[in-house]
Amino acid sequence: MRIKKKQGPLGWTATILLTLYCLIAIFLIGNLILSSFKTKMDLVYNTFGFPKSFTLGNYYKVLIKDDFIRYFYNSIVITSLSIISLLTVSSMAAYGIARYKFKGKSIVEMYFLLGLMFPIQIAILPIFIILRNMHLLNTYSGMILLYTANLAFPVFIFSQFFRDLPAALHESALMDGAGEFRIFSQIMMPLSRPVIFTVALISFVQIWNDFYLPLVFLTKRSIRTVTLGIYHYLSNFLAYWNYVFAAATIALVPIIIVFFIFSDQIIAGLVTGSIKE
Amino acid sequence: MQSKKSYIFFILPGFTVYTVFMIIPLFFAVYYSFFSWAGIGPKIFIGLDNFRKIFFDPQISPVFKNAIKNNFVYMAIALFVFIPVQILLAYLIHKKIRGYSFFKLVIFLPFVISSTIVGFFSLLVFDPNIGFLNTFLESLHLTSLTSSWFGDPKKAFYLLTGVIGWQGIGVGMVIILANMKGIPEEVIEASIIDGANEWVRFWRVILPFLKPALINVIILSSIYALTQFDLPYIIGGPTGGLDGAMDFINLFFYRYTFGDSYYGQTAIGFGASISVVAFSIILFIAVLQNTLLKKILNRD
Repeated sequence: MRIKKKQGPLGWTATILLTLYCLIAIFLIGNLILSSFKTKMDLVYNTFGFPKSFTLGNYYKVLIKDDFIRYFYNSIVITSLSIISLLTVSSMAAYGIARYKFKGKSIVEMYFLLGLMFPIQIAILPIFIILRNMHLLNTYSGMILLYTANLAFPVFIFSQFFRDLPAALHESALMDGAGEFRIFSQIMMPLSRPVIFTVALISFVQIWNDFYLPLVFLTKRSIRTVTLGIYHYLSNFLAYWNYVFAAATIALVPIIIVFFIFSDQIIAGLVTGSIKE
Repeated sequence: MQSKKSYIFFILPGFTVYTVFMIIPLFFAVYYSFFSWAGIGPKIFIGLDNFRKIFFDPQISPVFKNAIKNNFVYMAIALFVFIPVQILLAYLIHKKIRGYSFFKLVIFLPFVISSTIVGFFSLLVFDPNIGFLNTFLESLHLTSLTSSWFGDPKKAFYLLTGVIGWQGIGVGMVIILANMKGIPEEVIEASIIDGANEWVRFWRVILPFLKPALINVIILSSIYALTQFDLPYIIGGPTGGLDGAMDFINLFFYRYTFGDSYYGQTAIGFGASISVVAFSIILFIAVLQNTLLKKILNRD
């Protein structure tokens, strides 16, 4: 049994300071959710309290009148299809790199790692021209392609995992007459469920929250994502601020739920590769 | 399927999308940067003229220099303020002070919140008219302390830095924390037996062990600093706030490429030259840090 150490005055100071610091985030999120149910009057005169009367008016205005239901749908389609495509393509690439020996293997490995160093913003302009020429601006497919191409980090995580799987696994399956793709899809994939899940979580957070790519590539109103919809409210802040609470709550709640359930996996996934072995 | 060559089948799809949408565009950016081109119509080869404009045009170069200066000041703050704070936070959590698991979770939490929502929070708190902070100060009769916050060019940059820090500080913290957990118990115990106090133990035992992780965090933070876009754009607007106090190289790039800042028109060629400059700076800093830090940190 572990005996709890007594905490000294320095420790308590740290605890108190950090508690105060953490209250900022909790206050902001709590206030956001509560305010989304307030009428505008209530919001002005009762900024910090509980709503005097719960109203769904803001949600009605945001979701139905201002089309956020559409933006929400766009976000879901783009995020989910991008994750599926990214997982498929990056796990295959990582598998090819990590499990086979071939000429130039280390060069291919380095080549994929380059993407870790250069954020996609650097290349955004030629990407814009390429997508325009392919008529993929303002489309789901364009966004899905880009999120799939941004695969350096998933490839890195997957190859770390595949590298550590025993070679015997592959050999015995070959002896049983399984083809290469069957080995991948029916033996390796089920084994990598935890990694797949981690990559999916991290990608979900990144793609769902992404601002830059939608800003550049989704200029049509009908294909806006939720983050972009909120941005358009913000650019006219004083006129719409009471609605932003509802819009932001819609965007934030799925992320917060996922985060509180899976924070360990998300954090562990993000730190992969930066831990000294 | 021949088993020897099947790696090609696995790698090819990823290799293709990655090459077409991430790598080839980098080269295209370099190519476009030598042209005067509005994105449609004829491309006119103008050599290094775009670059000359970035550095010497009397209208453009002061804006560029201000933006890049902001990137570097922010980078300095990230390296000399945020990273020490991240180390301290990681250490406190590692030591399991009361409430540590709650702190770890909530300090990290803003990282998963979209920048538009973090931007909304900032406006809510710092708006001069309806913001929480001014309202709060007025209710305490401290009207002299109220301010226009982001509307004040002297304060805007540091406030923005604070907001970006609030959103992202948890990442470096969890990386450092994960590496602290990798320090073998025996090493710590040996130093306790040697009678080293906590301060000495932190500097002589824990910090040296974190070197590789710190190199990572330094490089990641620097790249992040040099590619700032979301929060400056959302809070300060496309022009980077009053007097360009919140302008960064990526906003500068965005305005000229997708906006109409180039003497009133969009300028793909000119925009490309900005991204080439930005790219070179990132490459230079990353390579420099990588070699320099490894040399310095591995000396002893």
